[in-house]
Amino acid sequence: MSTLQSSPMAGLASASRKLAASLAIIATTLFGLLVITFVVGRLVPADPVIAVIGDQADQETYQRVYAMMGLDQPIYVQFFNHLRDVVTLNFGQSHLTKNPVILDLARVIPATVELAGLAIIIGAGLGIPLGIVAAVHRGKWIDQIARVVGLVGYSTPIFWLGTLVLLAFYARLGWIPGGGRIDIYNEGLVEGPTRSLLLDSILAGEWEVFWSALHHLITPALILGYASMAYISRMSRSFMLEQLGQEYVLTARAKGLPKRTVVWGHAFRNIRVQLLTIVTLAFCGLLEGTVLIETVYSWPGLGQYLTTALLYADMNAVLGAVLVIGLISIAINLLSDVVYRFVDPRTR
Amino acid sequence: MDRRTMLKGALMAGVSAAVLAHSGSVIAATPADQLVIGMDMSAMRGLDPHELNQLEAAEVAANLYERLIVLPADNLADPQPGLAESWTISDDGLTFTFKVRSGVTFHSGNPLTAKDVEWSLRRLVKRGLAPSVDLKQWGFTPENVDSLITATDDTTLVLQTPELWNSNLILYALASFSTSIVDSAFLADKDKEGDMGGEFLQTSDAGSGPYSLRTWRANDLLIAEAFDGYWQGVPAMKRVILRHLPESSGQRLQIEAGDIDIASRLSSTDLASLDNGDVASIQRTPGFGFYYLALNQKNEILAKPQVREAFRYLIDYEGLANGVMKYYGNLQQTIVPAGLIGAVENNPYKLDVAKAKELLAEAGHADGFTLTYYASPATPEAEVAQSLQANAAEAGITLDLQIGDHIGKFRSREFELFSARSGDRLPDPHAVLQSYATNADNSDEAQLTGINAWRTAWDVPAEIQDQVRAAAHEPDQTKREAIYKSVNEAYLAASPALVTSFQRTDAKAIRNNVQGYVGHSTWLTRWDTVTKS
Repeated sequence: MSTLQSSPMAGLASASRKLAASLAIIATTLFGLLVITFVVGRLVPADPVIAVIGDQADQETYQRVYAMMGLDQPIYVQFFNHLRDVVTLNFGQSHLTKNPVILDLARVIPATVELAGLAIIIGAGLGIPLGIVAAVHRGKWIDQIARVVGLVGYSTPIFWLGTLVLLAFYARLGWIPGGGRIDIYNEGLVEGPTRSLLLDSILAGEWEVFWSALHHLITPALILGYASMAYISRMSRSFMLEQLGQEYVLTARAKGLPKRTVVWGHAFRNIRVQLLTIVTLAFCGLLEGTVLIETVYSWPGLGQYLTTALLYADMNAVLGAVLVIGLISIAINLLSDVVYRFVDPRTR
Repeated sequence: MDRRTMLKGALMAGVSAAVLAHSGSVIAATPADQLVIGMDMSAMRGLDPHELNQLEAAEVAANLYERLIVLPADNLADPQPGLAESWTISDDGLTFTFKVRSGVTFHSGNPLTAKDVEWSLRRLVKRGLAPSVDLKQWGFTPENVDSLITATDDTTLVLQTPELWNSNLILYALASFSTSIVDSAFLADKDKEGDMGGEFLQTSDAGSGPYSLRTWRANDLLIAEAFDGYWQGVPAMKRVILRHLPESSGQRLQIEAGDIDIASRLSSTDLASLDNGDVASIQRTPGFGFYYLALNQKNEILAKPQVREAFRYLIDYEGLANGVMKYYGNLQQTIVPAGLIGAVENNPYKLDVAKAKELLAEAGHADGFTLTYYASPATPEAEVAQSLQANAAEAGITLDLQIGDHIGKFRSREFELFSARSGDRLPDPHAVLQSYATNADNSDEAQLTGINAWRTAWDVPAEIQDQVRAAAHEPDQTKREAIYKSVNEAYLAASPALVTSFQRTDAKAIRNNVQGYVGHSTWLTRWDTVTKS
């Protein structure tokens, strides 16, 4: 211990070793992801060539397109070609959209991040206080309500809830828009640097576009946020209950500290790392789990992109999308590791 | 409640109020000069008219591009001048000379000349992709097309066919989306590895049609704008917007609310609920294809004529027609699609399990048998397959129904029973008959994978095949009609391995204030005829 403290070089070496280990884990994870996706892609029964040429095409056309798509190469050559391209961030061309996959991803990812971002803000913003209040008032009416709200959110299929909300608030009442990221008439007015319509419209001062985008975003984000809230509030409640049973809480109360200070000042500080973990997990889950809500709300995001690509055996798009989801998940986890070090001195 | 909580609450309330305050603009009819179409764009890949091969993309190409010939939606058999002002056909029927219209400009501003027509038609053949069959089937090849299709000056295009075909077949091909004329001068510097601008055209437009492409985001949105320089006058709809709405229920809600004018992919339940005419009417456009059941003739049980015949008695034609097929198809058991020359209305088969059992006993299968049955997963193909499975069970046949994407297995003859639907575009019996009723070489090596009869390993009776070929070469339409009527009868009597039950129709819901959106059986529905009241 003392040696480490006294030698900055040793600290640096240890940090480098940790970094190298992390990078090795990341590389292995991504490679594994690539291999699995590639193999699964080959097992999908849909024929990517027929998806492109249609089922009536003759054999000559089939062979021509088969070769054009590089499928005439041995499978390991196809894999290594793909690996080589991925290293240079070239995910190839999507057979479906005819765009480079990287451009497609640059379009669909911000749409999903915007949706999942607002959803997680709603989910965590409501779920954590609700869970904590429920824990503090364990067994009281507020706890019961929180549990019912959580149970409903946990067990309601998002697809069904989304459709029901559309039926009630769009078709019957006309309060919310029917789908898409923005009103058609505001399309193309803002094409900014972040590709988040909310941020770009603020940056461009296009308030009409901003309201339209927010209006379209709020319903699917609330529905997704509700599902996350159910999970986060349940977890927050159990974390908090565990802390409230600890002796330091009793001691603090015995000292005469107000309940609010004990809960928020002491107990809450001790569950921050756990909360961060579940919020991170919930956010990663949202990134890949938005597909149902994206379908119901015609949201042109990553989930819909990936599903369509899978259905039509568009393997470049599938591999690219999965890899990017993997990268984002790893990045979020790394970021949460960094944040841990700030909130919990023991992890430093 | 502390100050921070109050502030948060106030902020959230403010945002909610603001969002609700802006909700007044949500439900509003689409503007009078814009047409909004809701569709499932999932299968729409690429807009290059010489590469695309799919209904939704073809409708876009129909409006971005133009062709030498136009087939009016209400009279497909009567070719009308399009980019070709007029044409003559030589006495021997082999040479077509087209006078190309002057004064037509592309969206780029370039004038359209016969050279563009020459370049476009040669491009289709040379690239050899799916829709090139529209010219290749008449004998055009990458090797001969340079000498057979030539522009002799700016307004004259000469097209020679390698052998004699009925002239309508050639004219119909020149009206197909695949023979769209592209701007050769504009594409000159867009070539990438010899693709003749292919990669560029997949996401862009180089046409002369009534609309130009403004925005296309795959699986999201397409916006086309009226072309100010269109030679037939600027269309009434200034913008046409296609919106990706993959869910049928979403399309239905949006058309009811007035957010879209046309819903193009609706389930039968949603079509039925819109069919009362309150907000929209249902348009059913017949297509030149069938819902079919393929019985692989390599299987020795299915190769028996009595077994093939038995299956025709196991389809619940009436029940399906009144149920799931109400919007998707018209009952038809003969092989020439209704609306084309030689078509007859003759549907002698009915669901008759007892008769089917009798036939099976005659074939030596009184105790039934078990076979695997592949069917397409889409509506209504899946429901049609389930219905057949149930009826077959009553006759003692166990069908192991596997619903999924098995078209590859059908193409490679690795199946027992398969059902799906087909869709041809040529408004002539030849297109369907070539696939269903010709099979020049039934050997595995022949690899005629584009032909349904070969896929089914059905050695079509020579009498039928000869008649189909003769009709395609016959110049006289009256004689052709007689041949096709005879083919119809022969096919019906042949206990075919490809059993047709319904002619496909494509149903769309169109809001009552929209006029002039006329579904085109060859996928060329135009937007420039649309007006709104």
